[in-house]
Amino acid sequence: MRSYYGTRRHLLRMLSAVGVSGALGWGNAVSLHAADLRKRGKACILLWMQGGPSQFETFSPLEGHANGGGTRAISTTVAGMQFAEYWPQAARVADRLAVIRSMTSKEGSHPRASYFMHTGYLPNPSARHPTLGSIVASQCASHLGGTTGDLPPVVRIGSRGRNDSGAGILGMQWDPFELRDAEHNPANTQPMVETDRHLRRLDLMEKLDRGFAKALPQEAADHSALYKRATRMIFSDGMRAFDIQDEPQSVRAEYGEGGFASGCLLARRLIESGVSFVEVVSNGWDTHQDNASQVEKLSGGVDRPFAAMVRDLERRGMLDDTLVIWMGEFGRTPQVNPRGGRDHFPRSFNAVLAGGGVKGGQVIGRTDTAGIEVTDRPVTIPDLFATFCKSLSIDPTVENMSPSGRPIKLVDGGKAVADLF
Amino acid sequence: MAIFQRISWRLVALLGITLAFHAARASEETRASPDTRASPDTRASPDTRASPAGICDDATFLRRISQDLVGRQPLPLEIDAFLSDASPTKRAAAIHRLLADPEWASTWAKYFRDVILYRRTDDRAVYMAKPLEAFLTDQLHAGQSWSHIAREMITATGAASEHGQTAIIMAQMGETSDIAAEVSRIFMGIQIQCAQCHDHFTDRWKRHQFHQFAAFFPRVEIDRSPGHGADGYTVVSRDRDPRRNKKKPDNPRRGDLEHTMPDLHDPSQPGTVMQPLFFLTGQSLPLGTSDRDRRQAIAKWITARDNPWFARALINRLWAELVGDGFYRGVDDMGPDRTAQSPEILDELSQAFADSGHDVRGTFRAIMASDEYQHASLSRANPKREGFAANCPQRLRSDQLFTQILAAVGVDESQVGNGPSGKRAKKQQSKKSVGTQAGRRQLNVPRAMFTQVFGYDPSLPREEIVGSIPQALLLMNSQPLSIAIDGNRRFTALGQLLAANKSNREVTEQVYLRALARSPTADEMKTCLDHVQSSENREEGFEDVFWALLNSVEFVYRK
Repeated sequence: MRSYYGTRRHLLRMLSAVGVSGALGWGNAVSLHAADLRKRGKACILLWMQGGPSQFETFSPLEGHANGGGTRAISTTVAGMQFAEYWPQAARVADRLAVIRSMTSKEGSHPRASYFMHTGYLPNPSARHPTLGSIVASQCASHLGGTTGDLPPVVRIGSRGRNDSGAGILGMQWDPFELRDAEHNPANTQPMVETDRHLRRLDLMEKLDRGFAKALPQEAADHSALYKRATRMIFSDGMRAFDIQDEPQSVRAEYGEGGFASGCLLARRLIESGVSFVEVVSNGWDTHQDNASQVEKLSGGVDRPFAAMVRDLERRGMLDDTLVIWMGEFGRTPQVNPRGGRDHFPRSFNAVLAGGGVKGGQVIGRTDTAGIEVTDRPVTIPDLFATFCKSLSIDPTVENMSPSGRPIKLVDGGKAVADLF
Repeated sequence: MAIFQRISWRLVALLGITLAFHAARASEETRASPDTRASPDTRASPDTRASPAGICDDATFLRRISQDLVGRQPLPLEIDAFLSDASPTKRAAAIHRLLADPEWASTWAKYFRDVILYRRTDDRAVYMAKPLEAFLTDQLHAGQSWSHIAREMITATGAASEHGQTAIIMAQMGETSDIAAEVSRIFMGIQIQCAQCHDHFTDRWKRHQFHQFAAFFPRVEIDRSPGHGADGYTVVSRDRDPRRNKKKPDNPRRGDLEHTMPDLHDPSQPGTVMQPLFFLTGQSLPLGTSDRDRRQAIAKWITARDNPWFARALINRLWAELVGDGFYRGVDDMGPDRTAQSPEILDELSQAFADSGHDVRGTFRAIMASDEYQHASLSRANPKREGFAANCPQRLRSDQLFTQILAAVGVDESQVGNGPSGKRAKKQQSKKSVGTQAGRRQLNVPRAMFTQVFGYDPSLPREEIVGSIPQALLLMNSQPLSIAIDGNRRFTALGQLLAANKSNREVTEQVYLRALARSPTADEMKTCLDHVQSSENREEGFEDVFWALLNSVEFVYRK
């Protein structure tokens, strides 16, 4: 007795015809073309510098001052806007970049600051706050009637299994889909048997679940919807987005080499395919010793792909609706320590934004000449999150309930930086 | 005495319930046995107790208690023995047997590990998973009372890697207010931290009461200097002058010997120094009391036999886990201003729990002997469940599911290895950060990797826990599972069954017993036999059947 649907086309038709309930989050808009999604929805790419990148060796150079650490400043395409010497490619797209040099916070421990910069809230045992990725995905998807296509709405690349970036109180359907790196297929997405047999298995499973479904219909319906969605995902055309080998050699060359470059290229491909939020992680920025030489090396892996991705998004007409964020959990001390390193410094640091309606080619805020105190337009973490919301047309006052029934706003206070728009 | 006692104890008195815990234990033999109430198989319907679901059948019962107590389905031999046992007290005997199994202690140690660590504010605390699990397993297995376990955790000091009881403090990285909040939530089910910044909106708690409670913990400190245990973290008492450079910029008072309530209008002001005072009883200590004395006092007061919230917190939690819903909607959000459903059952159980000296095994016995526990299940959303008229299907916790998969495919956990080896593992081991290192190593064992996909905070309302795509993908498509159900390999359970010269019917029966701990219905048998018949070969056909059962909704639920 062969199953009546033997082909992938049949499967897809069957899965979409069933009308999977939207309650679990990934939606069923097989027919919605990715381009339609993009036209209607916003997206966001977070380039996360794990460890806390030095502001002085990136986008806030202090050439000539003792605290500058001997790092040279270079000119960019924008008059008067200088970057550290390790960022020549970013300098060439400076007119698309807005640099905030007046980020300020009080949180100097990696896990807590990382949580703060991912959620806009300090950690608190009574509720796990939703991270930016889950906020963007759930909010953008709700604009779209709960659909984000076949692919997972939030993808995180290269985080090495850190579990600090979940959807918290929004529910695990908005948790990031984790990729160890961009060069391998995501885990468990290759069927272990040939397609026909996989479909026969699902058919059998459905039949054997009937008894349970009679007694416990809700549980069975949710389970079935989940399996259909997972199956639709791995058989969907959208899965091709994960294959960066598909990309023309010229584009790959533009992004450059290395894991972070692959991650940026994959991020663009995923956003193009309807994913709402992608985080690409660059590890190793906790430079307590030999700061300058370490940052030079780390920047070498980030500078080119960052610039290439901004250009690529622009060429494809995606930059206006895609907010690109470059940041880490805090900055580093103005004074270089005896080991040539810089230690944690949340009091003043930097972040870079591009796209998503942000006016490029400008610097927001300033510190004193020693790079210690913010002297103009301090931007707090809630301010930064309010800015993200404005860029992505998300209402920051939307409330979610904590487990104890306390309403929690997407952003707690904070004012968007008006000059950015 | 405090007001809470008036509310609930009067109710108890009115109902005339004086049931002591040993009485519950003694009566369980009869309550759970068919000789005092109609055997489920012979009972005439409709049910005389007006439950729409009735008492569950023996096979369901055995699977349920096995999953609940030892974290896995019963094995084929256990099922045979139980179903063919004619003793009228076999249900009670089975509960008794599983409670003595070391796996009971380790299953619930994992549960409470999750209760504590899912609320960590610092990811470095993941490395507490192992020591915490070891501590709780030992305590539970040895039959230590819940009050003893709570006192150990509240008063814990020492090297974190060797003293799992430091986990609540480690999970909050020694933050005074967060430790206070968690101690109250976990051990009393009272979320007094809502009053941290303002008087509680719905409950009676005032802001100063939270900070008086927090004042029991300001001298707890985590010492990070190396040389104290493998991972460099030690929980210590700090009763001398604060050391320099310990102050954090976001909390200028940190490092002081007394807790201060911040000035809300002007956070730059020093705030008000708070005297330790227990909000439920008014018991207090003078300023200047040592850390040891503070924590011993509050631990004693919290775990006192006449603190009903200490007893209710565990009863409510276990009842929710075992019957489907708590008496209070939130397992850890109760308190005198909330309304419980069926308060007479809650009070009966809590009183008995307190009278027994907070005996944990006895609590399991008492709950599991009840009709409420032994009812058949109805869907969570079904209104007929009102008043605990039916049990409720629970999605298995990550650890239960992992253990259950291993049991189904016949693989011992010691055989599944310890995660990645070779180059990448070596590279990870050479990393410098000692604290997170151990944590990361732990994350690479198969069970922990599985938990990253299937884990959830067990204190969350269960209806909010939904399945995820990565979960479905792991069960559908992971290579280790695919190998584990390979019918052509002699080392797999299926391979051995197929090689043993059994009929297709017998193999189907065995596969059902292994996966779902029951026999297939006639329809299911036919579906499976037809599938095997129409497959390329017998091995493939049964691999598909096994796969379908491991991926079925029934497999991931405890009914």
